[in-house]
Amino acid sequence: MAFGQTQKATSQIPVASMADIAFLLLIFFISTTIFRMEEGLPVALPRAETAQRQERELIMHVWIDKQGHIAINDRVVAVEDISGVVMKVLQEKPGLIVAFNADERCPYSVVSDVMEELKKANAVRVSFTSEPEAAANAAADANAE
Amino acid sequence: MKKLSVRSRLSTQLSLPSTSDIAFLLLIFFLATTIFDLEQGIYMVLPGQQSQSVRVRRDNITIVKAYADGSITIDDKAIAVSQIRTIIQGRLARNDKTVVVIETHPDADYGLMVDILDELRLAEARTISLKTMLGNGVP
Repeated sequence: MAFGQTQKATSQIPVASMADIAFLLLIFFISTTIFRMEEGLPVALPRAETAQRQERELIMHVWIDKQGHIAINDRVVAVEDISGVVMKVLQEKPGLIVAFNADERCPYSVVSDVMEELKKANAVRVSFTSEPEAAANAAADANAE
Repeated sequence: MKKLSVRSRLSTQLSLPSTSDIAFLLLIFFLATTIFDLEQGIYMVLPGQQSQSVRVRRDNITIVKAYADGSITIDDKAIAVSQIRTIIQGRLARNDKTVVVIETHPDADYGLMVDILDELRLAEARTISLKTMLGNGVP
């Protein structure tokens, strides 16, 4: 009759596969990271608590800097040209949302003029791009330190 | 007596154990630098060219004015940005048909208008109208 052998449970964590996991995660981050180049104009966005996430595919950015210069798709444009540019984009994307990436210190008259041009082009869906309040506070704290 | 020279053999192997360390370092770099870009903003639908103007009873209108010097008034009473939410919530409780008009001076900061809009959204005002002030806005 054979004697029953007692099995000893190992208490070690297998670390050999850690490198494989690290490589997999590395490949994921390398393939998904986009080093975004600065586009448009330099702006300090206003802060808002009620900012909602928008569908990226439908968004067209309008940049307005502190001096009131307007840029669409990396090109500085005059106010009167906006409706023409927007109309072309609207034909390709019917549900277009125009996102105002305007500097918080820019004069409201510029934003108002752009909105009038958007109405002419019948681009009625707009979004006032803003930084979430929490993120903006964190950035302010980091700058203070 | 002359020593015999010892020939050193060059190893052709890659040191594999250190590759995992490099992988971890790169992983930490990408984890720290990756920002998942989110598009956030206050969404609004503007009246289009075909939209017809709607008549609203004067009692249902609340006008929030933003001036070039940064001051704000509600129905010509000076207030601070932080007070907007409470005042509008009170008016909406009394009359749920309240239409809020943000009348902004052309020289006022755009950020001031967004601050007001944000407060109105927090007060759950559903009908908001944007207007540009004519003249200096003094009645």
